[in-house]
Amino acid sequence: MFPKCLFLLLIIPLGTACGPARTSAPGAISTEPPASEVPAGTSIRLTDDLGRTVTLSGPAQRVISLAPANTEILFAIGAGAQVVGRDETSDYPAEALALPTIGGYSGFNLEAIVSLQPDLVLAQGGGFNSPELVSSLEELGLTVYVLPNPPTVEAMFNNLGKVGALTGHGAGATALVDSLTMRVAALDEKILQLSFPTVYYELDATEPTKPYTAGPGSFVDLLIARAGGINVGAELQGQWAQISLEQLVVANPAIIILGDAAYGETPEKVAVRPGWGTLAAIQTGQVFPIDDNLVSRPGPRLVDGLEAMAKLLHPGVFK
Amino acid sequence: MVRAPANNMKIRPYLYTLLFLFMAVVLSITIGSVFIPPADLGRILTGWLNRATFSEPVKTFAFILTDIRLPRTVLVLLTGAALGGSGAAYQGLFRNPLADPYLIGVASGAGLGAVLAMSYKWPYSFWGLMAVPAAAFIGALLTVFLVYALARVGKTIPMTNLILAGVAFGSFATALTTSLMLRSTGELHRVISWLNGGSSQAGWHPVLAMLPFLLFGLGILLLSGHVLNLLQFGDDQAQQMGLPVTRVRTLILLAASLATAAAVSFSGIIGFIGLIVPHVMRLWFGADYRRLLPLSIIGGAGALLLADVMARAVMAPQELPVGIVTALVGVPFFLWVLRRAKNQGYW
Repeated sequence: MFPKCLFLLLIIPLGTACGPARTSAPGAISTEPPASEVPAGTSIRLTDDLGRTVTLSGPAQRVISLAPANTEILFAIGAGAQVVGRDETSDYPAEALALPTIGGYSGFNLEAIVSLQPDLVLAQGGGFNSPELVSSLEELGLTVYVLPNPPTVEAMFNNLGKVGALTGHGAGATALVDSLTMRVAALDEKILQLSFPTVYYELDATEPTKPYTAGPGSFVDLLIARAGGINVGAELQGQWAQISLEQLVVANPAIIILGDAAYGETPEKVAVRPGWGTLAAIQTGQVFPIDDNLVSRPGPRLVDGLEAMAKLLHPGVFK
Repeated sequence: MVRAPANNMKIRPYLYTLLFLFMAVVLSITIGSVFIPPADLGRILTGWLNRATFSEPVKTFAFILTDIRLPRTVLVLLTGAALGGSGAAYQGLFRNPLADPYLIGVASGAGLGAVLAMSYKWPYSFWGLMAVPAAAFIGALLTVFLVYALARVGKTIPMTNLILAGVAFGSFATALTTSLMLRSTGELHRVISWLNGGSSQAGWHPVLAMLPFLLFGLGILLLSGHVLNLLQFGDDQAQQMGLPVTRVRTLILLAASLATAAAVSFSGIIGFIGLIVPHVMRLWFGADYRRLLPLSIIGGAGALLLADVMARAVMAPQELPVGIVTALVGVPFFLWVLRRAKNQGYW
């Protein structure tokens, strides 16, 4: 289980302890006038996740994204044409795949980054891109902005506003945030009257007797609650929590969501795991795969993930 | 055990290894994910010395060369030199073919220090960025001192005690490191990369920071060839020949550990170079430590540079942690050398 578990951990560093004090005031950006309304030649100043004040002389025109969520944000707010490079794991939207890659988890390639002559390198904080990488890029004279790893959906909206300001797509970001806010509000309202089923979200079950699940304070934990469910992992310790099969049998979740579906887990495989047959979710067939990229990347598709989750938890209400 | 060198063996080994190192440096400077035409390469290097300025696209090439490739080449070269030299010294000191620079806990101590430092979010500043290498360096040296103190019996340090204490404490530190990693949530890829020698901070700062320790450590090692030769006869005999065994041993241990700790702090843990390079040098050029030490230093530098070039090229534009390459490529190469060696039973 070790290697795969590690791999998963690499993929989903979401909701990790990003220094809460370092992010700039929540809501500060999305409420400001969009950058496109700022007169040309006015410089853009924003504080990033590392507490650095980043100054651009104007909207960035050649952006390199170091994280899949950043790439998704850039394309979603209409700055896709300004992106000139991406990290290896940025695979959405499809247009992004045509961009040159500049490395990934095993290492970022400084030469490739420099040769693309970016005027902005967009990194992700919270342990996703290391401070060593940021300092290396800074030392090479590049402008680096580290987006905080948002602890909530609303904080993610705030990130959209920041990227909008940096790229001159403030209006696009505001429009996107407005529509996403409405979708989340609609969902919140419907959830109010519902009873919450218990949910087990599987991150990794290479060892089916002690799989990993989303613990308290993790992003998936927040999304489950937001989508109208009770996360059985919320009782455990740590954001990456190991749960024993015994604990799982006692918790007896009504619904099982397979966040490891992309790694080959299926409801059929789960049903035949030794000892799992007693679980209510398996007897009633409430085992569902989910596209874990929707719930693990702090970009606009989180709202898709939230809606997908709500559909699984309340199929009668969300169609 | 110590062979009398044939006359033509005096200079040639140095020529061969220096040529190898030179080729490795050239490869390291020419090969990268961005192709720089050889014609530009020459112009940039001569222009760099004259502080000339260039226009695009040569300007970008020049920047890549002088600010990315050159510092990295020097850092890797120094790291390889430290590992090769320390490996040879440890093998001689312990009279053990399995000895490598990590035998008495430098790697496990550095790993524990680094992972501890990484589990805390340091402010983004010069000292914040120095936290991980500094913690690794301190962790490595603390481990060596602890192991040394544990292994000490009265006024002597029996080598067997040292090895056993080192291996035991190493397992202990590794267990702590692993438990920290399992508890950690986000920074794991940084840790794994560091533990496999994949950490690299750009620029000249790391080079400058490790240089004093390296010069001191390797300098002492270069002077200790004769002493290591004597130690091969065994403690009693060396003592009878007038060698203050314990004191000399402590000094060599300190020098090798200091060089290794400095190297590891900035580059992460790179395995096999310190084990294999001294053996290859011994197989090819004999076991006289007066020669083996400098040759292992040069050979280690060249070998690690070559591995680093492969680490950059294999999956470009992604980079593999160099420690993986040293094992994947270094081990088969070493086994090949070992099987071909004419002087079997060379140890």
